[in-house]
Amino acid sequence: MKASKPEGSQSSDRYGRRADLKYALHLLRRNPIVLTGVAISVASVLLALLSPLIVNPTSWDQQPLNLRLCWNNPIVNWQIANVFNCGGSAVYPLGTDSYGRSLLQMIILAIPVDLEIAFEVVASAVVIGVFFGGLAGYKGGIVDEAILRVTDVFLAIPGILLAIVLIVVLGRSLPTLTIAVLTTWWPYYVRLMRSQVLSEKEKPYVERLRAMGAGGIRILYGHIVQNSIYPVLVQATLDIGSVILTVSALTFIGLTPSPLLPELGNLSNQGIQYIFTAPWLILFPGLTILIISLGFNLLGDGIRDVFDPRLRR
Amino acid sequence: MRLYEYVARRLLLMIFVLLALSVLIFYLTRGLLPPTTALAAYITPRMDDSAKLSVARALGVATTSCPSYSAFVSLQGGCVVPLWGQYVGWLENALAGNWGLTLLPGISGTDTTWHVFFSRFPYTAELAIAGAFLTIIIGIPLGIVSATHNNKLPDHISRMVSLGGYSIPQFWFGAVLQILFVLYIRVNGSGLLSANSTVATRCVICFSGVVPGEIARYSGIPLLDGILSLNFPYFWDSGVALILPALTLAITSIGAISRIVRSSMMEVLRQDYITLARSKGLKENVVIYRHALRNAILPAVTVSGLLVAYLLGGAVIVEIVFSWPGVGNASLAAANVLDINFLELYVLVTAVIIVVTNLAVDVIYAKLDPRIRY
Repeated sequence: MKASKPEGSQSSDRYGRRADLKYALHLLRRNPIVLTGVAISVASVLLALLSPLIVNPTSWDQQPLNLRLCWNNPIVNWQIANVFNCGGSAVYPLGTDSYGRSLLQMIILAIPVDLEIAFEVVASAVVIGVFFGGLAGYKGGIVDEAILRVTDVFLAIPGILLAIVLIVVLGRSLPTLTIAVLTTWWPYYVRLMRSQVLSEKEKPYVERLRAMGAGGIRILYGHIVQNSIYPVLVQATLDIGSVILTVSALTFIGLTPSPLLPELGNLSNQGIQYIFTAPWLILFPGLTILIISLGFNLLGDGIRDVFDPRLRR
Repeated sequence: MRLYEYVARRLLLMIFVLLALSVLIFYLTRGLLPPTTALAAYITPRMDDSAKLSVARALGVATTSCPSYSAFVSLQGGCVVPLWGQYVGWLENALAGNWGLTLLPGISGTDTTWHVFFSRFPYTAELAIAGAFLTIIIGIPLGIVSATHNNKLPDHISRMVSLGGYSIPQFWFGAVLQILFVLYIRVNGSGLLSANSTVATRCVICFSGVVPGEIARYSGIPLLDGILSLNFPYFWDSGVALILPALTLAITSIGAISRIVRSSMMEVLRQDYITLARSKGLKENVVIYRHALRNAILPAVTVSGLLVAYLLGGAVIVEIVFSWPGVGNASLAAANVLDINFLELYVLVTAVIIVVTNLAVDVIYAKLDPRIRY
């Protein structure tokens, strides 16, 4: 990323923006790190979409308990005394879990669960952030103050703590898990959008729109938000990974609807109990989380580097 | 605005935030659940009805005029205190330090919520402080090296660490460390810890009130107590036991801090006064550590409030992975049995710490950077 951007391409006119986008895509294509991020995130989304076709989606309910915590993949020797060999002709590439299910199958079934929650949380947080953050930044005054104080309250406790309380009170299910994480997530987006709108609304084109008689809602959501949403979208990409981390942390500590549910944190929760006898059971689900969240972080980092001219060198 | 005006305004705001938060938590734990559910955790089938009723009164959900427990259970008129009344009563008690009973067995055996919480809290504090320490001594140098060796090997390594820190599930990192050190890396035959009996008996100078053979507890923080009582085996053991949990807790914030220091350092290094310093013939180290770092560190100071919030929240997960005897570990147990007294105290104490830290950070920041106006 050595090339520097031509002067004046920051302008918001149509041609300038298209040229900007073209240049950004050009930079993206030349950056191997971003390409890795794109590859991982696209692959994980594809895997999530195809997972019901790869693995029988009802297989998580079957519990062949005679195959609990066994390992028969000859590639890895754990060097632990008494690793139970699954025997038989079926190969379990990543071993089995404490219910006797193939860990690889469970991970494949778990990816869509985690990704779906992550996308739901991030998308809702963006919508809430754009609406309230935009309002706070554009209106200012008492509206701004009120919205900011509400975010203050939510930011005064660690998210995971609030989420724990919420899940316990609302009951353990995937929707409440989503709601709990969303409750801790939206204030950041409100603040980010607000600060974006604050600087964008002082630009001359807003004055021009106002002189032309455009209404507040149209100016705000039709123009200002459109021009200042990039950083929010970058943050959203970065946050897919963070939301997966938070969700899996919550299910890891046992806040799941069912211990059988194939979900990456939930699988790890089984694993921590057998950490020294069946280490694969915590290693592989956690590794999956790491790879997916790394993918989205790389992608978000790359997009930010490309769209933020200050970081371009 | 003068400094004291600013602080006064912030203090008022702080009280507002804490009050609003207490309303939120109170509503979540008691308003959303019927009063009988909130009560359920604290009564046992063995209690007779009058005992159950007095528990309900102590929790502030049953009125004093309520005739019997069965009348309360059937939610008879005049028996259940209205929610706002419950809140006022709860707040009065809370401010007086009366947080009711908890179900969790306390370390010292008594079971008021306050006592259990604060007998466990030092362990969490120790973990969080150690995590903050590691974050600073690893994260800041990583960021500096990354900026001064931009796009060279140290930069790539440091960015990798920071990206990894962002992406790694903490519970997994903790588990991997445990697997590595327990199953595959042998430090020596018996490990690093001293035998249990040595720890207890070997206080070199046993201060008054410390019985030889017992571990002294002045602050409750093991590392500190080990030094204060000059019980070096205890100090050593506490330190060894702290390394892996603290590293696990710090891994994400190390990434965050190093990234912030890197970008602010790079911006500072491009400024004119750095060019001037270099052209004066100053050594590169002096330029970086005396001139650039002072300005580059400021953005890192502003996020230290967030860092504290992050470390206190992350402690829940780390404590569970490492079976650490702190409040985070207990909060999960409390959540599982719906011990709302404990959860409320935990949330509010954490919030007070975070809000106060944020205020302190803002004041310190304004002192450090004269360009900042209140």
